Amino acid sequence: MKVITFVLSLVLSFTAVANDTNPAKTLLLEMANAVHNRNFDASFVVVKGKSMEPYRWVHAKQGETELEHLSLLNGAGLEMIRVNDQVTYFEPQSEPYSLKTDSIAGPIPEVLFKDIQQLSEHYDFVLGGKGRIAGRAAQLVRIESKDEHKYNYWIWLDMESALLLKAAYVNHQGEALEQLQLTHISVTEQPAPMLLEVLNRNFPTPLPENELEGVDSSSTNWEISWLPAGFELLKSDRHKLDLNNELTDYYLYSDGFVEISVFIQRPLPGKRLSGALTSGATTVYVHNGGNFDVSVVGNVPSLTAKAIAESVTRAL
Amino acid sequence: MTKAHLNKLDNESLSALLDGEQHLADAKIAEQDVSTFGRYALIGDAMRAQKNNHDIHIDISERVALALESEPVYADFTQSKGQSQVADKKEQNNVVSFNWRKPVAQLAIAASVAMFAIVGVSTLPQSDPQQNEIPLLQTTPLTGMASPVSYSSAPALENAEQGLRDLQQQRIGALVLEHQRQARVANSLQTAQNETKAQEEKN
Repeated sequence: MKVITFVLSLVLSFTAVANDTNPAKTLLLEMANAVHNRNFDASFVVVKGKSMEPYRWVHAKQGETELEHLSLLNGAGLEMIRVNDQVTYFEPQSEPYSLKTDSIAGPIPEVLFKDIQQLSEHYDFVLGGKGRIAGRAAQLVRIESKDEHKYNYWIWLDMESALLLKAAYVNHQGEALEQLQLTHISVTEQPAPMLLEVLNRNFPTPLPENELEGVDSSSTNWEISWLPAGFELLKSDRHKLDLNNELTDYYLYSDGFVEISVFIQRPLPGKRLSGALTSGATTVYVHNGGNFDVSVVGNVPSLTAKAIAESVTRAL
Repeated sequence: MTKAHLNKLDNESLSALLDGEQHLADAKIAEQDVSTFGRYALIGDAMRAQKNNHDIHIDISERVALALESEPVYADFTQSKGQSQVADKKEQNNVVSFNWRKPVAQLAIAASVAMFAIVGVSTLPQSDPQQNEIPLLQTTPLTGMASPVSYSSAPALENAEQGLRDLQQQRIGALVLEHQRQARVANSLQTAQNETKAQEEKN
């Protein structure tokens, strides 16, 4: 009986989103739906080159309330807890803080849990082959960048529950740069008691929105003349970095899928070399701009980061 | 035969085993006390190292970790007593007491910084012709690596270089962390932007 209702609900959810003819898109929307509505407890690892980060990911839906907990299990860790549209970040070395947002900014691009329709202008959605991932039948969906300035993203979805099983940033030579692989998942009917306990706790009040956004006067100091198509300025300001107290002019760009940060700072003493550093899909490009240093950080190819960094000039 | 005498005999055979004078048999090793085994192995290593001028491998990481754990946490004297009490109270009101968060504070930051530790710039030609134009700054792996003995005749210069490298490394660590944090607000900012755009289109 349970199986029948499950199949039925699957069919129903299919028809609900089937007005879009692209099956890859339909699958992704189904995944977003599943991630928001199911009770599950999963473990996954993120492999970046030689390093590896294990995570635990628990989600519960209790009535109309959504609870989600993502934690990094190695090192000092990092805990992220979402209660509906409030996410609280617990980091080592700093006070916990909350943000008003309806998804956790973890290793999985947030847009995947929402309407991926907004990416259509700059990405293609392609259905790939079927395979076996984490012991389950999986369907590959490829999100392919329409130009070579961004990476592609491949996602393997459970054919039964539409939940995510594996994902990878893939470059245009077809090499996986950063992989995320589920090692275990259990889907339950009842939410995990551990997560329900979160409801009894108070979290810090979210930072007011006007404190976060805004394009302030420093944005006129610099001109960033090149960015890949689709990237828009979300924020610009001048602030001090937490770790080394250095002052920086800061610009945040996003195309809805990946974010790019541009930092412009006072030059460091000594011979400064321009070059790229990569860790998984994350690129840090350091550019010596003469009497200033430009650094570009983001999940983009190093050539893209280089081009952005070199396009920065002092505005007249 | 007394028990002590028996032990001594056993150890003699163990010593011989480690020196390769006796054949290796699992049962034989299993009989031996682990710490004795390790000690003998170390003695053997030391003797051979002298002969061949090789390094001795002494693993003290476990003991260091243990020592660190039992290290007392000293009070923070930068704050006056009154202030700290106020802070305590505030924390209690906040109720968010995920005490599993606190102890290993600096580790994660250190790890994220170490990931991007620079050791130099490589200008070696790369296999991919497209990537050729970009010099890749070399990174050290996360796990610790023994630093080679320096034969430099100008240690002062090297120290200065190291200092600059540390500065750059620190900066890159700070940038990566900042990017991670800023990316968290990106989504809500974008939603807000899309909303205002939709409103403008309506008007």
